[in-house]
Amino acid sequence: MNKIKLDDSQLVSQYIKGSELAFEKLVNRHKNKIFTKIYLIVKDRYVAEDLLQETFIKAVNTIKAGKYNEEGKFLPWIMRIANNMAIDHFRKEKRYPTIVMEDGSPLLNNIKFAEEPFETDQERKETHKLIRKLVKELPESQKQVLIMRHYMKMSFQEIADATGVSINTALGRMRYALINMKKKMDKLNVAYDKNLYPG
Amino acid sequence: MIKTFTPDDVIKYVYKECDQEEQREIEEALLCDEKLKETYQYVVNMKDDLDKIDVQPSNKAITNILNYSKNYNLKKGS
Repeated sequence: MNKIKLDDSQLVSQYIKGSELAFEKLVNRHKNKIFTKIYLIVKDRYVAEDLLQETFIKAVNTIKAGKYNEEGKFLPWIMRIANNMAIDHFRKEKRYPTIVMEDGSPLLNNIKFAEEPFETDQERKETHKLIRKLVKELPESQKQVLIMRHYMKMSFQEIADATGVSINTALGRMRYALINMKKKMDKLNVAYDKNLYPG
Repeated sequence: MIKTFTPDDVIKYVYKECDQEEQREIEEALLCDEKLKETYQYVVNMKDDLDKIDVQPSNKAITNILNYSKNYNLKKGS
């Protein structure tokens, strides 16, 4: 049976009519992208989670109050809310963001990935730390594409449009990012977990 | 005849951005092109590694959001 994938606008329409399942689909479809955007600005996992919730609460209030403008697109709209939430957070804290995403670069200069506080396996923890380090060390253009594709779940075409390059350039940057990471891993003789890499 | 694919095609395939036809052709090529298979394996491995650094919200945050929406009408009604 073919599954029909509803677009955002259809899901919003269903949500307006009362479908909580439609809202759940919207949240799950965009949560990582929105969270990553906030996270790259505030650089604190817990603050980012609070702001993500506030962002969606604002969206729910607007939609359920019948104030959502259906002419606009859902994702850019909620991304703007998220961006404003993150900027407001800095205003309240009297600090200023060093990273501005998408609309205003400079991009991704000092990414601090979330530490995993409940990690118990020391070896795994070390591997995670290494991966974070390798991502951070990538050249800016490669890091940008890798983060947009892998963590923000943007398609290569969306990345190409957002960064003003061709899709082939975006793909090439992704390829070099992966090659560079692999080279460094090989150099460091990273011991792969054989269960993760069968054959 | 089996089409030739580049590493960029493999990256698109691993990230599920190929159309059905391309997907089928790449899968066919992977069966007989050792070099392509090697590329595929390292892209998949790197993708798995990147998944280990968690840049996604907790389930708790998502549950809170969904619950807020579900309870919205109750709150407004009370």
